[in-house]
Amino acid sequence: MPDLDVLVIGAGPAGAVAAWQAKQAAPELDVALLERDRAVGSPVRCAEGVGDAGLREFANPDGADWAARKITRVIFLAPDDTEVKVAERDVGWVLDRTRFDAHLAAQAAAAGAEVLVGTEATAMARNGGRGGDNRWHVRVKQRGVDEIYRARVVIGADGVEAMVGRWAGLDTRVPSRDMESCAQYVLQGIDCDPDAIYLQFGDAIAPGGYAWIFPKGVGVANVGLGLVALKTDGRNAREYLDAWIARRYPAAARTGYTVGGVIVHTTIKKTYTDGVMIAGDAAHMINPLSGGGIVNAMKAGRLAGCTAAAAIRECDTSDRRLSAYHRAWMELLGDDHLKYYRIKQALEALDDSFFNGLARTVNKIPQEKRSLGRIFAHALIKHPQLIPVAARFFV
Amino acid sequence: MRHVTPDTIAVVDRAVCDRCGLCLPLCPPEAIHLESNVLTVERETCTGCEKCIGPCPVGALEMVAYA
Repeated sequence: MPDLDVLVIGAGPAGAVAAWQAKQAAPELDVALLERDRAVGSPVRCAEGVGDAGLREFANPDGADWAARKITRVIFLAPDDTEVKVAERDVGWVLDRTRFDAHLAAQAAAAGAEVLVGTEATAMARNGGRGGDNRWHVRVKQRGVDEIYRARVVIGADGVEAMVGRWAGLDTRVPSRDMESCAQYVLQGIDCDPDAIYLQFGDAIAPGGYAWIFPKGVGVANVGLGLVALKTDGRNAREYLDAWIARRYPAAARTGYTVGGVIVHTTIKKTYTDGVMIAGDAAHMINPLSGGGIVNAMKAGRLAGCTAAAAIRECDTSDRRLSAYHRAWMELLGDDHLKYYRIKQALEALDDSFFNGLARTVNKIPQEKRSLGRIFAHALIKHPQLIPVAARFFV
Repeated sequence: MRHVTPDTIAVVDRAVCDRCGLCLPLCPPEAIHLESNVLTVERETCTGCEKCIGPCPVGALEMVAYA
């Protein structure tokens, strides 16, 4: 029976960074990183966009093989196709997630963590109480064989499914209105600015979400959308995407396809319990306004890994000790997400004519002076009902 | 656990399902499982609430008569 100090379940950005940081903080610990799929980073269920500054806290994208494209512009498309260009230096990157996730897992391995692919956790229970060993006993399936792993601390980084949280008795369920249903193709041979990401809003295009074009090279891009099912006309995400692509890029070759869920909620109420911490998508640590989660996941993974290392050294992995992880996360980003969530709710009340009008107003600002802040200011002038939301956000 | 037998329950078409896992956290009674790359809806746990149906990005879940 493998006996571990830290068992990380899920080798995406949250899990890989958690294992890496735990081992780096306390090299004497036995740390294992489990990946259900046969390869870390595959299949990709992601639009692969990431902000520059957040990424650099964990990895240097300059010249890296896992960085597919540097992005220097954002182009918003109103529902009526009016383009609004917002140029900023160092906006971000479109990653090659297959390589990026493998890079992070390799960092964990280099620090001394054991990476196990094709290895699926299927259940776990705490062996506490009198006569218990105070460890989590995790049932792990590898090549069809079940084995029990014992661990002092389990870090659940298992994505949208969030089974580790469920097994630990935490509430990881999501209300339907806060689930974005996403579909995406890799399109080849398309005409778009390879240095820009495009975001298009519209009730007929992606109700409750947006459609995106994230270039991975010249003429190649992740083209997808996310929507809220409760707001649709009954079609699913793939059908909405097919309609959008048929209109925009009817001749493009579709060389890849993925679907998935993005939780646009706020952090789960409790991300920890005795010997367990939940990080990344599994704990709903996604920016509810943008749907971005990669950097958040890595930041949460770092907090969880370091907390696990310190707690084990102190011989205290209790609920009370691990609550420090939750507090640190809320202070770092979780409290901001509560504000973003309120803005999201306010934006939901706006219709296509508002965004069409805003796009035309903003285009009167010279492009070099166009920033997200100014766009937001114009939105406030046109829609004073947003002011209380903005006040709560900026105060 | 459900208290009333539903008229209809959700079933998955495995030929269409992409195993993305989106439906798992939407299920109030936690009747949906994804293990060994196979999605399963527990017949005896599903309450027929339909919360998983619309959000499936590929339409792999549908309601059928519970019989």
